[in-house]
Amino acid sequence: MSRVVREERHGRRFLLTPNLARGTRVYNEELVLRGGVEYRTWDPFRSKLAAAMLKGLPEDVIREGDRVLYLGTSTGTTPSHVSDIVGETGLVIGVEFSARVAREFVENVARKRNNVIPYVEDARDPSKYNVAKVDVVYCDIAQPDQTEIALENCRAMLKPGGTLLLVVKARSIDVLKDPRVVFGEEVKKLERAGLAVTSVIELSPFEKDHALVAAKLAA
Amino acid sequence: MSSEGTQGNLDEVRRRSLQAAEEAIRAASSRPDLHLVQAIQALDDADKFLNITATRAAEWYGLHFPELTQMVQDNVALCRIVLSAGKREGLTPELLQGRGFTEKKVEAILTARDRSKGGDISDEDLARVRALASLAVEISGNRDKLNEYVEGAMKRIAPNVREVAGATIGARLMAKAGGLDRLAMLPASTIQILGAEKALFRALRTGARPPKHGILFQHEAVHAAPKWQRGKIARTIANKIAIAARVDYYRGTEEASIRSGLDKRLESIREKYKEPPPRQPERRERPQRRDGDRDRRQKHRRR
Repeated sequence: MSRVVREERHGRRFLLTPNLARGTRVYNEELVLRGGVEYRTWDPFRSKLAAAMLKGLPEDVIREGDRVLYLGTSTGTTPSHVSDIVGETGLVIGVEFSARVAREFVENVARKRNNVIPYVEDARDPSKYNVAKVDVVYCDIAQPDQTEIALENCRAMLKPGGTLLLVVKARSIDVLKDPRVVFGEEVKKLERAGLAVTSVIELSPFEKDHALVAAKLAA
Repeated sequence: MSSEGTQGNLDEVRRRSLQAAEEAIRAASSRPDLHLVQAIQALDDADKFLNITATRAAEWYGLHFPELTQMVQDNVALCRIVLSAGKREGLTPELLQGRGFTEKKVEAILTARDRSKGGDISDEDLARVRALASLAVEISGNRDKLNEYVEGAMKRIAPNVREVAGATIGARLMAKAGGLDRLAMLPASTIQILGAEKALFRALRTGARPPKHGILFQHEAVHAAPKWQRGKIARTIANKIAIAARVDYYRGTEEASIRSGLDKRLESIREKYKEPPPRQPERRERPQRRDGDRDRRQKHRRR
């Protein structure tokens, strides 16, 4: 069972995750009570994972108790919700290269949540943060070779049967090509590396020229 | 499960990682080049703000004394006069001394004062104009200090880039790149068009002609050159900036040869391409579009 809750308000669909750090906000999101439990609203325009879930990604790709390697945490918006989802028994290893945005991630997310371990490191070198094998690798880094980087991390840390969630930003791989062509090429790379692609979800209208690719490593 | 995965162990890992991450963040935010990047951006902000404020003050005071606004082109200088004189009757010859005006100009201003076509201004209105003028003068002082700071910081942090590009342009390039380290890792071709990203991507998309220069257009050797030389000159300067940034970042010594090499190369460009190239009659008016059709289709789809 996923801990993500779906809701509809004024004809717009929302996602909620149970707040692991009660009473605190990460990015000024709304806090709501449902059955005595505090939830944080999860904005699909600010989080690509939320956008993907609203566009058909099964919520149980990340479950309570899962260990997640999160590449490209940025200021920690999405990682905070992943931290909510995996809960106290789970783990989020968050990697961000830019010190500027990592500052907010560490202050607002990692400091306040016991299940988050932060690293200000380059995702090209998993040995720097290879502290546990993980059930999910989530990769959202805008680099031309992001797929290769994600695969390298899967090889180093993903358990057999684990899931890779790869955010493909077509514009940072090739500004000229049709985004769909780029998505197709990246999918092929994953398949060649032995992963089984389970879904490719385009994130419009929440993000332009982005897709989230979900793939499974053979058990 | 391996021992690295046990919970107690992970708590310890988390404690250390938090510490290391905070240390890395602290180290990264004390880099002097990042302060320089903020300073050059503050300088550019100050210029915009100064222009807006001083223009507004001049416009406003112009209701009262339009002739002065006409005769004093520099709005900040005008603001200084407004501050010390107040209403136009307060404008004495002494007040105009030492402001760099010629005798004749002072005379003309005083004559204009006596038969101004401007309206009366109430004390209340004047107080607002003066406050605005005072703000402009203050920004102007702050702007000059920022400029000095950028000069000094470039001398310390990137002396070679400063020597080749000049302090403000060098600092702007650094700001675009995201620091001296990033600038040192950029290829010269990228440095050449930093600041012209919009034109570059338009060129890539449509097959139009790519930009010759971005921020580098502000370099005197580029914008003062005849049009047909500018691309070559911008390319040469970008080459030298790339070298200079690498020397600054990795070695930290001053290399006079970079500047002298640049001057020599610029001289030979100016010599060799003295005359404008002949017009090529067979050249198409509009360059062929490489991906034109597809691009147009995409635009429709997005809408």
